[in-house]
Amino acid sequence: MKRDPVIIIVVALVVSAMLAVGVYKSRRSPDQTKTSGAGMKGQSAPDFALQALDGKTVHLSDFRGKAVLLNFWATWCQPCKIEMPWFADLQNHYASEGLQVVGIAMDDASPQEIGKFAKDLGVNYVVLIGKEEVGDSYGGVPFLPTTFYIGRDGTVVDKVFGLKGRGEIESAIKKALSQGQAVQAQK
Amino acid sequence: MSLFKQDLNRAVTISSYPCRRAMRLSPKLAANLLALSCWLVLTCLAVAQDLPPGKRLPSVTMSPPRTITVTRGKPGTVDLHFRIDGGFHINSNTPTTEFLIPTTLKLTAPTDIVVGKVIYPPGEQMSFPFAPDEKLSVYTGVLVLGVLVRPLVTVVPGKYAFHGQLKYQACDKAACYPPRQLPVDFLINVAKGSAARKRNPGQSPHVHR
Repeated sequence: MKRDPVIIIVVALVVSAMLAVGVYKSRRSPDQTKTSGAGMKGQSAPDFALQALDGKTVHLSDFRGKAVLLNFWATWCQPCKIEMPWFADLQNHYASEGLQVVGIAMDDASPQEIGKFAKDLGVNYVVLIGKEEVGDSYGGVPFLPTTFYIGRDGTVVDKVFGLKGRGEIESAIKKALSQGQAVQAQK
Repeated sequence: MSLFKQDLNRAVTISSYPCRRAMRLSPKLAANLLALSCWLVLTCLAVAQDLPPGKRLPSVTMSPPRTITVTRGKPGTVDLHFRIDGGFHINSNTPTTEFLIPTTLKLTAPTDIVVGKVIYPPGEQMSFPFAPDEKLSVYTGVLVLGVLVRPLVTVVPGKYAFHGQLKYQACDKAACYPPRQLPVDFLINVAKGSAARKRNPGQSPHVHR
């Protein structure tokens, strides 16, 4: 069988072009679709009412005036397990400055199982039982962990996909704490 | 000398179409262009594999299964082949911690065909950047599950369809995706097999031994 180099080269170039277009589109599209982080930035964080592990109903608006780290997680998510102890630690460290960490469990597990899981990881912050519609109101949460940083004025400062380093999390917390500080001072 | 080298050694001329008559590449240029093309393809593939979390959704697909023939009354094993996208892993059937969701195959069988156990391969013990000190039992790449089936002796020979779902939960190196279910369908061919020897054949004066 004779192989013509020109044909091989043309095929290789076409395949490369298709792959490049695919990669380009997949890199761009999340920023333009409902999985977007940029789409929520600067917008007011949607309020919600969710049940806490103790059965009480908690609203996002209950934390008005505080910077909120809103973390969507699940018991089946291994990367989530890594950052939860960091969140607990950061909650201790920045509580006096006005930080509130809120975990939303997007899980089919029972509240008891979720509570046990969180306790084993040393979670000291508010944990709520998630609902799909709350994830949808935040632009969709197709994978976990997904974390929103909400400023004191209630606007979304940042949205982060997947596991990030502790340093990055702390920087985003500082940014959220500084957002809306002027508003607080005026009040 | 390989055919390919022979191709390169001659000037590349495609004369079957008049418009291509002018296309004449020196062997060196052709070799360089070929190398560049291969590099481009490999680079694009590498970049596609290393997209940040959430930029690609995990995909598990089932290869078209081969229809196997099982003799009625006898057991047989159907191998089902699944492909897990590069860059993703799914938990094995026996994950290392209680909260992880195991990969499971649930099947409904036609009447009079017994589905035995599903044979899951042992998971690979792997650690990931999100927990370098912890080993997880996972499947990556190609996953082959064996399904034991046994048609009863009363089954009419022919083709029988099985339906079910593979439940899995995938993660990449920094994020996890909600559990998903992949439809699983396959056929088996039930054969009559050789006539069973009767221990106590009917007595007849016309039976010849």
